[in-house]
Amino acid sequence: MKVLEIKEVHKIYNSSEVKVHAVNGISIDFEEGEFAAIVGPSGSGKTTLLNMIGGLDNPTEGKILVNNTDLSTLKSSDLIDFRMKNIGFVFQSYNLIPVLTAKENVEFIMNLQKRSKKERNERTMELLNAVGLGERAESRPAKLSGGQQQRVAVARALASKPKFILADEPTANLDSKSTETLLEIMEELNREEKITFIFSTHDNRVVKKARRVVTIEDGKVISDETR
Amino acid sequence: MNNIKLAWKNLWRNRRRTLITAASVFFAVFFALFFRSLQLGSYDHMYKNAIESYSGYLQIQQEDWWNDKTIDNSFRYTDSLNERILDDKNVTGTIPRFESFALASSGPNTKGVMVLGIDPEKEQRLSKVKDKKVKFLLTAKAVEKICEDENLPQKTRDMADKVEGNAYSTVDRFLSDLSLDPGRRDEFLPILESYAGFQNGAIQKGEPGAWIGSGLSDYMELDIGDTLVLISQGYHGTTAAGKYEVKGLIKQPTPELDNKVVYLPVDIARQLFNADGMLTSIALDLKNTDDKAIRETSIRLSKVIPGSTRMIDWREMNEIMIQQMEADNKSGMIMIGILYLVIAFGVFGTVLMMTAERKREFGVLVAIGMQKTKLASIISLEMLYIGLLGILGGMLVGAIGITIGVSNPIVFKGEMALIFEEYGMEPKLVFAGVGTYFLWQSFIVGLMVLISIVHPVRKILGLEVVNALRA
Ligand SMILES: Nc1ncnc2c1ncn2[C@@H]1O[C@H](COP(=O)(O)OP(=O)(O)OP(=O)(O)O)[C@@H](O)[C@H]1O
Ligand SMILES: [Mg+2]
Repeated sequence: MKVLEIKEVHKIYNSSEVKVHAVNGISIDFEEGEFAAIVGPSGSGKTTLLNMIGGLDNPTEGKILVNNTDLSTLKSSDLIDFRMKNIGFVFQSYNLIPVLTAKENVEFIMNLQKRSKKERNERTMELLNAVGLGERAESRPAKLSGGQQQRVAVARALASKPKFILADEPTANLDSKSTETLLEIMEELNREEKITFIFSTHDNRVVKKARRVVTIEDGKVISDETR
Repeated sequence: MNNIKLAWKNLWRNRRRTLITAASVFFAVFFALFFRSLQLGSYDHMYKNAIESYSGYLQIQQEDWWNDKTIDNSFRYTDSLNERILDDKNVTGTIPRFESFALASSGPNTKGVMVLGIDPEKEQRLSKVKDKKVKFLLTAKAVEKICEDENLPQKTRDMADKVEGNAYSTVDRFLSDLSLDPGRRDEFLPILESYAGFQNGAIQKGEPGAWIGSGLSDYMELDIGDTLVLISQGYHGTTAAGKYEVKGLIKQPTPELDNKVVYLPVDIARQLFNADGMLTSIALDLKNTDDKAIRETSIRLSKVIPGSTRMIDWREMNEIMIQQMEADNKSGMIMIGILYLVIAFGVFGTVLMMTAERKREFGVLVAIGMQKTKLASIISLEMLYIGLLGILGGMLVGAIGITIGVSNPIVFKGEMALIFEEYGMEPKLVFAGVGTYFLWQSFIVGLMVLISIVHPVRKILGLEVVNALRA
């Protein structure tokens, strides 16, 4: 089943003097359960594409369908709700809320969804255990290493049981050991829980783990391999 | 979890930020209250000074006297009139006065003076003339002796030079002008007393003695025991002239009065002006001095006083001072406006910084699914809590500080005091007690907090997630 369809999408930035065609006609689909990497040189348009897929930014042209819903048809408050239910985000710089503990960060969305306290507790601990941080539930982000913070971010992204997780260069700030641990966790979640991951990366070690690699250059797809 | 709880929890999650923001509001309220208290206190003090040091709250005068102060506009004062006035339930004492002008001369010096015929005992109820008798006089000789006495502190000896010629009716003021530490009062006061102490005599019924202002004594070169000649026009065009022995010096706080006042016993003053049995005014000592009581007393007394006299209250008698004070209040408002501007910049600045600092956090929250309206209301609630915390704290600490200040006015000493006097001000800062102005000042700061909430709310509602995440 298709979770994501990208149809002839363009993004043009009209900043001051130069007109930048950051995404230049991309059409690709993603199936449920994929473990896909989007790769390409710096400035090729990876972040721009992921932002549009996640509904954080609008395409200049083209359509994005998540679970058969055209994002452009949603008004902005519905789009926010839609993101909460369907899309999980993992950011390059973790972006945990510094004043909340690991547990509170993961729990946050479930709070917004008004889940019962019991359900929240169970799922939060389940997720933190899944990323190997059950012991650190009460720690604030500042007390955790970069790798640990990113694992909390993955747990947070999973909290609302989204259709897929978008991760823009999730390992860019991590050392190789942490990168390896994070990828193992992501692979395991993908294998056991059938969680769909779409992530962009520069890192060859990460690319090697992907089962599908979409390469883009100058805002265009130049290759799309599944292995 | 609802917004109210979420916002409350957020406050304690970043205590440092909460405290900084609350502190900006706290200081805003505190300074606004402190400043306003000083302003109102100084007005109150000036009113009280003017009223309680001379005019009193209510007087009986011949009906034309206030506008035309000639002896002919005086009225007959009888024991039965006095009794009728004292019968009023709000009147606790009558203070008879006979006021006029005369030319004073002594040796080669002459000067126009104000002659006040008084009853020294009765004046104790109001102007307390006896308490204003000069106790210390820094004559050139006294200053010389102080400067030469090496047992005295150097500071005192330095100051003595600067205040030469001054007269003092209170020990405290004398010592503070000489920069003498009150703790060493017992040690030095006797020495200073021996150099600059001053002895006065009494004036009493039937004796042609006078007390004169210390400024006048200086100008006329009059000392105790000298003779003062007064010449004027008496009642109904008669000639008035008399000789009086200077019995004492009075230190009047306002230089204008100090330079021209001559006190005589009231019967002696009447004799001088050939106006036996007459008075120009009767000041009243009242039990209750609030506006309503004064008005009612005035109405009751109008019915018992002679037809040619009328009641006049402190507002009419102090019209000029009241106008001045209202003008001053306007400039005070400008000052407070400037203070508010500074305060507003403080509060807005803090909120601006808070908003900028949290931009990324806002971006993440909206990205992962928090509605902007919900986020905006949580942040508004946070700000309201912080505002309330700061305002209540500021009011509380302000109330404590001001209450302490009311019973401990700030009194300036030494050179600082002289600077105040040069500008015609009493070297004293008086606080007004806790009052309705508390609500006003807090309300205004509260309004600033409300206005400042607009900023984060607008930022959140217009938030572009992609931009915010890049912040
Ligand atoms: N807000 C913007 N305004 C103008 N141009 C932008 C904006 N965001 C991105 N671009 C431009 O769009 C192009 C694609 O940028 P994008 O960030 O998507 O690249 P990327 O593949 O993510 O690069 P990197 O690997 O360095 O993260 C670049 O040329 C960039 O300069
Ligand atoms: Mg990028």
